Amino acid sequence: MRNKRGWFAFPYVIWMALFVVIPIVIMLVYSLTVPVETAAGEAAQGSLENFTGMTLYASVFGRSFLLALVATLICLLIGYPVAYLMSREGPGFQRVAMALIMLPMWMNFLLRTYSWMAILENNGLLNQLFQKLGVISLYNRLTGSDIDHFKLLRTSGAVVLGMVYNYLPFMILPIYTVLTKLDPRLIEAAQDLGADAPTVFRRVTLPLSLSGIISGVTMVFVPSVSTFAISRLLGGGSQMMLGDLIENQFLGGAYNPHLGAAISMVMMVIVVICMLVMNHFGDGEGEAVML
Amino acid sequence: MKKNSLGGRFLIGLCFLFLYLPIFLLIFFSFNASDSNVVWQGFSLRWYGELFHSRLVIESVATTLLVSLVATAIATVAGTFAAIGIYSLTKKWRDPVLMVNNIPMMNADIVTGVSLCLFFVAFFHGWGSIAAFINAHQSLVKLPEQLHLGIVTLILAHVCFNIPYVILNVAPRLRQMDSNLVDAAMDLGCTWMQAFTRVILPEIKPGIVSGALIAFTMSVDDFVISYFTAGSSIQTLSMAIYGMTKKRVTPVVNAVSTIVFLAVLIVLVINNILSARRAKAAASRASLEPVRVDPRVERFKQWLYTPRGRLARRLTAGVLCVAFVASTVFLTAFTQSRPVVNVCSWGEYIDEDLITEFEEETGIRVNYQTAESNETMYSLLKSGGADYDVIVPSDYMISQLIEEGMLAELDYSQIPNFELIDPRFRNLPYDPENKYTVPYTWGTVGIIYNAAMVDEEIHSWSALYDDKYAGQVLLIGNSRDAFGIALKYLGYSMNTTDEGQIREAYGLVSDAYERGVFQGKVMDEVFLAMEGGNAAFATYYAGDYLSMLEKNEDLRFVIPDEGSNWFVDAMCVLKTARNYDNALKWINFIASTDANLRNMDTIWYGSPNTEALEQYPAWYEEEYGEPLDPEIYHIIAPPQEVLERCEMYVCLPKATRTLYNDLWIKLGI
Repeated sequence: MRNKRGWFAFPYVIWMALFVVIPIVIMLVYSLTVPVETAAGEAAQGSLENFTGMTLYASVFGRSFLLALVATLICLLIGYPVAYLMSREGPGFQRVAMALIMLPMWMNFLLRTYSWMAILENNGLLNQLFQKLGVISLYNRLTGSDIDHFKLLRTSGAVVLGMVYNYLPFMILPIYTVLTKLDPRLIEAAQDLGADAPTVFRRVTLPLSLSGIISGVTMVFVPSVSTFAISRLLGGGSQMMLGDLIENQFLGGAYNPHLGAAISMVMMVIVVICMLVMNHFGDGEGEAVML
Repeated sequence: MKKNSLGGRFLIGLCFLFLYLPIFLLIFFSFNASDSNVVWQGFSLRWYGELFHSRLVIESVATTLLVSLVATAIATVAGTFAAIGIYSLTKKWRDPVLMVNNIPMMNADIVTGVSLCLFFVAFFHGWGSIAAFINAHQSLVKLPEQLHLGIVTLILAHVCFNIPYVILNVAPRLRQMDSNLVDAAMDLGCTWMQAFTRVILPEIKPGIVSGALIAFTMSVDDFVISYFTAGSSIQTLSMAIYGMTKKRVTPVVNAVSTIVFLAVLIVLVINNILSARRAKAAASRASLEPVRVDPRVERFKQWLYTPRGRLARRLTAGVLCVAFVASTVFLTAFTQSRPVVNVCSWGEYIDEDLITEFEEETGIRVNYQTAESNETMYSLLKSGGADYDVIVPSDYMISQLIEEGMLAELDYSQIPNFELIDPRFRNLPYDPENKYTVPYTWGTVGIIYNAAMVDEEIHSWSALYDDKYAGQVLLIGNSRDAFGIALKYLGYSMNTTDEGQIREAYGLVSDAYERGVFQGKVMDEVFLAMEGGNAAFATYYAGDYLSMLEKNEDLRFVIPDEGSNWFVDAMCVLKTARNYDNALKWINFIASTDANLRNMDTIWYGSPNTEALEQYPAWYEEEYGEPLDPEIYHIIAPPQEVLERCEMYVCLPKATRTLYNDLWIKLGI
């Protein structure tokens, strides 16, 4: 096996030991201690308090994972067809499309989110459009209600929209990358052997693009769980997510990084479990992408 | 290959529409004559003009590009090789390595940021003692004993969170690749490096490209990690924008984003036209004659792989490395040799020309950074991540900082302009002996309401909890203000530590919440909501109300009869400050009457300077040729009897702060 270059991984392993493992250990220490007032000022004392007190936030955990899951599914449902269609276009189109998909993300997140808020507000573009099209009066007639706008902003739907909008490119790109590498002869072979289009997709294209899907799902699901600004801005603060909870401990008035670190640790463990389960379903081809 | 039908293209089009709808809106409003993102007040290039004026924005764009490009380049190369390495490991090793690799992605950004910050700070401590030891025992080289967070740590942090994305994108392509291809290439006499460039690279290129794209995107967009690792002298565009959110995000950043957007678009189009032309030319050539390769290029390529060529390659790499290190060292030395002062304030909280004037006058360079909130700044200071010279926290935060011994006493003999500060704003509760602070601005919090949506005069906080306005009220988005107002309405002190009173206030707010009175919690989004007439009530600062009034004339401001909060933001110097004298010069400059007048005119917060406060109406008339509306002056600088109704926040004890925080979280659950 002359071509194996396993040692390439070693500089990176050292890098990770420095910049990933040590900081995580620091945070682990934080999560296992609580601040206590002593004569000399504040000191840290070992305790499991941070973890035992966390049951309070069960609903936040539930909401975070649920909304992230919904957003990931929607991203997959939109992202896969788009990636698939893109991969069948000419090379010029593909090059431009790929860049165009990332380009919006180079505008600052906050600016983009403000734009969405202007679209979704009670007097926003979308509600004005509905008004012009008569959707709202139609809705009023059908349901017998009397509203002059739909409440779009500051709902869980808006939070999911924000996640889909922000992370969709991270779903499209890996799937697209894998699909372009797909050998078209395999599809021709399947067709020659009598498979119809759905069968070809189900038996050939989909299994072969699984590694891209797993990469994409990871890159959408993981940041969705821990996002904080999206839920604060689009959810109006009532859709608190794990990211908000953690942020609140570090940047809130109470300043309790110990609890913040503990919540983060628990979140990470749950994410790892989710990923393990997912990899189990996608096993064989997909195994080593994530874990 | 089969091309897509019309329907397929339509689907792609829809997806792009979804991605670009907010972008178009953003570009559209960058040409707005006013600084609103919702109310169109005519076409203007004003923000583009101001952009070239704004050193802060231009510098932060440059920093962003530099950091993102360097970090992406490093992460892409390192990530690609790491991916190949990881892929060649046996499964036993591969799995744990990949798991650790994904940690930076799974962790909340803020945890990554804070932990990296703590790590760097700990490393600097260790380095300090090692360097001191070495310096003490020899005199050949002098190592710097004090290291600080800065561009190097910022880039390291970005590389750190970028690499996993590169690996995650390269790995699937590697898996798809037939590993026999490499064996075949090497059997045919390739070195591994040749096999890499000719076989592996073309195979995994799309993965590398998409990995690099994602890495770059993450870099450009990151705020939290940068905030905790950038130190006190540089800031990225994201940091600048988040720093503005304590007030309003200036449309100048819309303008910058538009320019970046168009520039990238133009490059894309040109590149595409060129490559299409090249492809066409290649196609027509191919049909006529075999592809011609310049023999010199071919010979050079072959020479590179001779022993002498290998030596040359290694030498070049070595020279480049040395040059890189030397230029970094030179640059740091150069920037450190200039006198500087590192200032951290709120975004849009100063007449930026003052910065340039101060620099011209004194020759001291001002590194002006902005923070998002008092709490964000406190967290950074606590992690040891910032050694600003001057900060401008609010009253209650100042007393907390004094209590924790983080502020330095000021040498008032170097701040003659302190004499101009109105006695009303001296010796305030946060700094009873006035040893640490020079006031910067002051103001009040009140109700902002839309007279077109409310048919009565508002005099009481009760409107905020009234079913009559269900779904029309915006709750202020931080616990101190939200509960403080409720306490005031109930007739208690805003600074009470009585748990029963605080729980009663919470009950009031949460009850209104459950009845659906509140539309949501907002901070700076309040501009968007109130200017656009999307809500009838909000609670916010007087100065910001005046800025909203410009776009929506129906808005009114009132300080309710029950009283409200009044605040002072004051300049302080940190104990860790490296430029104490420069800091005092800056403070003195900002405390002058001229600077106060101009700041007041820019940000519409009251000035603590007696002369400036008195002269402002006359100054305004001279500057704009029309008299200042006395009502507006009244809102900027309310008279003493209004202030007497109001209460200033003091620093609450830790237990009360925790209670506030827990109750606040409960509202969101």
